Amino acid sequence: MDALGNLLLGFSVALTPVNLFWCLVGVVLGTVVGVLPGLGPAATIAMLLPLTLKMDHTTAIIALAGIFYGARYGGSTTSILLNIPGESSSVVTCLDGYQMARQGRAGAALGISAISSFIAGTVGVLGLMLIAPPLARFALRFAPPEYFALMVLGLAMVVFLAGESMVKALLAMLVGLWIASIGTDLFTAESRFTFGQMKLLGGVDFIAATVGIFAIGEVLVNLESRGGAEIFKLSKGLRNLFPTLQDLKDCRFAFLNGSVIGFLIGALPGAGATVASFLSYGLEKAVSRHPEKFGTGVIEGVAAPEGANNADAGGALVPLLTLGIPGGNTTAILLGGLILWGYKPGPLLIQEHPELFWGLVASMYIGNVLLLVLNLPLVPLFAQILRLPYYVLYPLIIGISIVGVYSVNNSPFDVWMMGLFGLLGYLMRKLDFPAAALILGMVLGDGLERALRQSLMMSQGDILILATRPISGTLLFIAATILCLPAIRKVRFWRVAAVEREG
Amino acid sequence: MKHRARLLSIVVVVITAVPLGFAGSQEFKPSKQIEAVVHTRPGGGSDLLARAIAELLQKEKLISQRMQVVNKPGGGPAVAIFYLAEKKGETHTIGFFTGVWVTNPLTTAEATVTVKDLTPIVRLVLEPAVIAVKADSPYKNMKDFIDAAKKSPKQLAQSGGTITSRDNLMRLLIQKATGAQWNFISFPSGGERLSNLLGGHVQMMVIEPQEAGEQIRAGNLRVIASLTEKRLASLPHVPTIKEQGIDVPLIPQARGVVAPPGVSREVVQYWEGVFDRFEKTATWKQYLEQNQFEEGYLKGPPLSKFFDDLTVQMRDVLKEAGAKVLR
Repeated sequence: MDALGNLLLGFSVALTPVNLFWCLVGVVLGTVVGVLPGLGPAATIAMLLPLTLKMDHTTAIIALAGIFYGARYGGSTTSILLNIPGESSSVVTCLDGYQMARQGRAGAALGISAISSFIAGTVGVLGLMLIAPPLARFALRFAPPEYFALMVLGLAMVVFLAGESMVKALLAMLVGLWIASIGTDLFTAESRFTFGQMKLLGGVDFIAATVGIFAIGEVLVNLESRGGAEIFKLSKGLRNLFPTLQDLKDCRFAFLNGSVIGFLIGALPGAGATVASFLSYGLEKAVSRHPEKFGTGVIEGVAAPEGANNADAGGALVPLLTLGIPGGNTTAILLGGLILWGYKPGPLLIQEHPELFWGLVASMYIGNVLLLVLNLPLVPLFAQILRLPYYVLYPLIIGISIVGVYSVNNSPFDVWMMGLFGLLGYLMRKLDFPAAALILGMVLGDGLERALRQSLMMSQGDILILATRPISGTLLFIAATILCLPAIRKVRFWRVAAVEREG
Repeated sequence: MKHRARLLSIVVVVITAVPLGFAGSQEFKPSKQIEAVVHTRPGGGSDLLARAIAELLQKEKLISQRMQVVNKPGGGPAVAIFYLAEKKGETHTIGFFTGVWVTNPLTTAEATVTVKDLTPIVRLVLEPAVIAVKADSPYKNMKDFIDAAKKSPKQLAQSGGTITSRDNLMRLLIQKATGAQWNFISFPSGGERLSNLLGGHVQMMVIEPQEAGEQIRAGNLRVIASLTEKRLASLPHVPTIKEQGIDVPLIPQARGVVAPPGVSREVVQYWEGVFDRFEKTATWKQYLEQNQFEEGYLKGPPLSKFFDDLTVQMRDVLKEAGAKVLR
């Protein structure tokens, strides 16, 4: 058992008081950063990087990685309580988490989010420890056609995000795809749908749009319904402060689903935690015995995406540490940190600096335990926020939203965009368009278009490249099957009805 | 006695402070936090360089105030340039430019402000580039690759950034010089460019030596040419592209510092002074070596000329590339 020996080495590194202390500092900071919308782990790590120069390097990466995965724990808090996505990977959590809070089950939602994060986070570390090199090699097989198929599979999830009307869901998704295309085209460097606005060259900020649609839209709708005081049912006593045993049983599959999807997607340099959270939510709904209840506050709908975005953190470290390839902003900064500290991140890093890699892995086990211990007692505390009267709560939501969105790019323009998207969110609620479908389009639009164009460049315009490669072909087949599901269900419904009439 | 000693010290301070005070009224010295604007998100090339320089300047005690890196991503460098232009006359703001700050406005209609509107301070580094292929590919040198590309035109592919990036411009120049043709596929992040090369989905990449270094050592990549005038110290056995008989102009990837428009001569002199001293420190030399950058220190009129020449050269190359050149 080589891994066991290495892991023991890792724990001997991670359990020194200094490293333990900095691991705690990292995950606490991460949680705080995650709870606050806007300020993300990438910016935080970048700001703290200079402080780490004087630290031991293993200690430094333990602390910085703590911020990275700790933020994924905190992201769900404002999503559940206030319908404000704390991080972009917690957008999906709003769907069922906030509804649970309205039903007086905020404690259960926050609790399951912490538990699911812990399980999936730990599975992510296990994966990083056991299968990092082969997984990294497998991830290299993902070329543009495979990414395209993955994005299509994600888009097919719209079937599960639709409410009453599939047409409205598809329309909302198309608008989302359009919004994603605003900005500068990567291939030609030309600008699209910017209406001559310099500020739109970078595209619509995702955080601004989602906070607008979810949080501001929700406040606007509630303001109208006069009886604002009755929005949250308050739980009495301790019973609803934590998930029940039944809740945990209901989430068995969600834990597994979130862990696996999150970790695998995380290892792909071109996907990301937001995609992973949407995919796991869709999968959860697809296999559920009561899919119609999703979106009204089912606990699996919180457990799956929250698990996925935590397992993603482990996955994202796979290409970074085994190949020296960063998958996203945060891992790019960690890579910068490694170079600054004098390492040469690349395929030989683990071999040449086992104490660094195994110390980090062991610290992530510890960090996940710390996060669980830290977050569970906070649950009842955070849930108290809903006791606030609405005339305090609404200004609070709007205030947090404005500060959060502003802090992403220090841009007042983004705050205006948030307001605009708030109005859009309000209209969509009024007209019964599913906001989640629009967000899905926004999340995937960019990657989808890019992968399609890259694929066609690879194949000289031959569209068959998308279907003839084994991985992409399989993924597209699954996507097609999912898209046909509603039709199959309908046919079955008619048959049953016909049989009943005959009988 | 004590009293007199204090009096004496005050007198000494006043005497020494007077000449300094006079000099200070003409010289600029930052009095509050300095804002350093970069056009990439945290983790991007400019961001990492700016953060490292901010740290090293403080470590060497060359600046008395904190330097805070501010990310203004969007439209390539357009949003960052625009932000700097809006800060006209602001003495406590600087920006970290790269070559795209020159090329991007040439093709982007919305980019109404160009790098010419800003105040150049110094050029700090030149980032060399090499051409890399997968280690198990049949291409041992440029000739192998060019021959293969000629044999099956547009079948091979190169991964890179936008079409206005140096990667693509070098491709166009080499294609023109040799008559070979291959595809260029854009990827937004360096990670994706590299993983597509390692995965064998594209055959070639223009890459910074630092990024390629570890992949070469691990036996994943092979470098077939350096896009530099002289061979790189870190890759002494790799011939330059000109040595291999392909005579193309080399596009420099420059990085350096600019200030907003309309800042006074004193501010420019202050920063030139800071970087004059910085450029000679051992920590900076070590940083250059770690990242395998080339020293590219330039200031004053030669720097302005560099910007002008680069603009002219880029305009030609972009036209050649079929991009719409707007200004």
